[in-house]
Amino acid sequence: MLSSWTFFISTLVVYFGVDLLSGLSLNLQFGYAGVINFGYIIFQAAGAYAAAVVTLGPSGPASFQHYVFGAKLPFPLPLLLATAVGAALAGVVGLFGLRRIRRDYQAVVLLIVSLIALQLVQADVPLFNGSNGLVGIPRPLQSQLALTPQGYQWAYAAWVLALCALVYLLVRWLSKSTWGRSLRAVRDQEDAAASLGLNVTALRLQVFVIGGAIAGLSGGLLVEFIGAWSPDAWGYAETFVIFTAMFVGGVGNYRGVLLGVLLVPILFLQLPQFLPQIGYPGLTGSLEWIIVGLVWMAILLLRPQGILPERRALALPDLSREAA
Amino acid sequence: MGTLVSAVAFGVVLASVIAVAAMGFTIQFGLTNVFNLSFGAIMTVGAFAAYLAQVNGINAWYGLAVGGAAGAVLTLLIGRGLFRVYARRGAKLFEMVMVTLGLGLVINYAIQAISQNNVYQFAVLQSKPLRLGPAAITPTQAILVGIAVAVFAALEAMLRLTRTGKALRAMAAEPTLARSCGIRTGRVVIVTWLLSGFLCGMAGVVYIINTQSVGYATGENFLPLVVAAAILGGAGSPAGAVVAALAMGVVTEIVSAYGGPQYSTVAGFGILVLVLVARPGSVLGGQARETRLTL
Repeated sequence: MLSSWTFFISTLVVYFGVDLLSGLSLNLQFGYAGVINFGYIIFQAAGAYAAAVVTLGPSGPASFQHYVFGAKLPFPLPLLLATAVGAALAGVVGLFGLRRIRRDYQAVVLLIVSLIALQLVQADVPLFNGSNGLVGIPRPLQSQLALTPQGYQWAYAAWVLALCALVYLLVRWLSKSTWGRSLRAVRDQEDAAASLGLNVTALRLQVFVIGGAIAGLSGGLLVEFIGAWSPDAWGYAETFVIFTAMFVGGVGNYRGVLLGVLLVPILFLQLPQFLPQIGYPGLTGSLEWIIVGLVWMAILLLRPQGILPERRALALPDLSREAA
Repeated sequence: MGTLVSAVAFGVVLASVIAVAAMGFTIQFGLTNVFNLSFGAIMTVGAFAAYLAQVNGINAWYGLAVGGAAGAVLTLLIGRGLFRVYARRGAKLFEMVMVTLGLGLVINYAIQAISQNNVYQFAVLQSKPLRLGPAAITPTQAILVGIAVAVFAALEAMLRLTRTGKALRAMAAEPTLARSCGIRTGRVVIVTWLLSGFLCGMAGVVYIINTQSVGYATGENFLPLVVAAAILGGAGSPAGAVVAALAMGVVTEIVSAYGGPQYSTVAGFGILVLVLVARPGSVLGGQARETRLTL
C-alpha cells in the first residue's frame, strides 16, 4: 500500500513539472507578450512524438506500429530533439499565424491549426501510427541507473523538477531583460511600441519560438515517462487546462502560474481519481471538464487578474477596472 | 470523369450541411462580433433535441424545427443572460472568445455526461438512390441540398426585403448610427440571437440526418469547417458563407475521391490556411477599424 502511494505521488510530481513547464511557456507568450497560443498543445505533442520516434528504434514493416524517422538515440538527445522540433514547428506556425490581425481571429486561427494537426496525425497512420498512437517507449537510462522502480520514479521526478527550475530561471531572466520589457510594451501598446522602432512581428515570433521550445521539452519529458503518446493525449481542451491554471493563479506572474498549476491540473484533474466512482464509467471525466469550463468562466467574470496578479500596473484583461 | 462528377455531387451535399450552419454563424458574428466557439456545442444540443423528438415518435424532418427551436431558445438565453453580462463587465472581443470557449466546454461535456458518452443512431427512411449521370445521391441528400437552398433564399429575402432584415444589416454595418436612426437595436439583437440560434440548431439536425448518428462531439467536430466557411465568406455575409461552403465541400470531396478519405477534412482547412497566407487582408481585414461587441 505504501509503495503504491509513493509511486502515485512521484508520478504526480512529474505531471506537475510537465504542466509547470507548459504554464511557464504560456505565461511567457500570453502573460508577457500577449500572444494567444490556443494551439499550445500541438507543440507539446510535436516534442513528444519527436522524442518517441528517436527512442523507439527503427520501425520495420513487421512491427506492430508504424512511424517515421525511427532511431535509437542515447539519453539526452531525444529531449534536445524534442525541444528543437517544438521550436521549429512554432517558427513555421508563427510565420503565418502571428500576422497583425484581430486578436480574436488570431486565437481562432491557432485553435483551428491545432485541430488540423490532430486530424492529420489521426488520418495519416504511417506518420505516427494514427489514432492508436505510439506505445512501448523505453524510459531513459533505466538499465544503466540500476535503481529500484520507486527509486527510478523519484530520480525522474527530481530530473523534471531540476529542468523546471532551469526553465523558470531562464524565463524570469528573459522577462526581466530589455527584451522582456519590449514584449510588455508590445502587449500593452502595440502601435506605440512599433512607433518606437520595435519590430512587433519579430518579437512575437521570437517569443512564440521560445515558448514552442519549452513546449517541445515538456512533451519529450512526459512521453519518456509515461511511455506512450496518442491523439487522445493532446485534444484541444488540454490547452485550456493550462490556460485555466494560468488564469486562476494570475497572468503575468510566475508564482501565480505555480499556484495555478498546483490547483487546476493537479488538484482538479488528478485527485478525483480517488473519489468513489459515481454513475457510469467516464462520468467523472465529463464532470471534471465541466468544472474546468465553469472555473474558467467564473474566473473571467469575477477575477480576471487571477489570485496573484502581476505586480505592475497592467492593461491586460482587466475587466474589473473597466467596469468601475 | 465519373469519379469527378460524383465527387462534386457529394461536395454539394457536404456544402449544404456546412452552409446552413455557416449562415447562422456568419449573421451572428457579423452583427454581434461575438466569435462564438460554443456554436458547435449548441448544434449538438439541436441535434439531440431532434433525436429525443424522434424517440418520442416525431418524424425526423419535423425534427429540423424541433432542433432549430432548441437552438434558438438556448442561444437567446446565452446571448442575453451570459454574453451581455460579460460585455457589461468590460469583456472585449478576445475575452469574449474565451468565454464562449469555456461555455462550449461546459455544454459539450454536460451532453457527454447526460448521453453517457454513447453515439445514438438517428435513422431516416432511405429509398433508392437518384442517379445524376455517373453520380448517385440518396433522396435524403437531395432534400438536404434543397433545404440549404431554401434557407439561403429565405434568409436573403428576409435581410433585403423586410424591415427587420434591413435593420439587421444596418446595425451590422454601423451600430451607433443605426441606434441614432431610431432602430430598436435591442430588439434587433434579440432577433439575431433567435435567428442564428435557429439556424445553428437546425444545422445540427441537418448534419445528423446526413450522418445518421448523433454523439456529444457531433457539433464540435464540425465546428472548424463552419468557422472556416464563415471566415472565408466574410463576416455577416450569408452569400459569402454559401460560396465558401461550396468551395470547401467540393474540394473536400474531390481530395477524398482522389487522395483518400483520410485527408478530406484536412484539405478543407487547407483552403483556409492558403487564403490566410496568400491574401490575409481580404479575409481578415478587420484590423484597421476598431470593432466592438454589440450585445
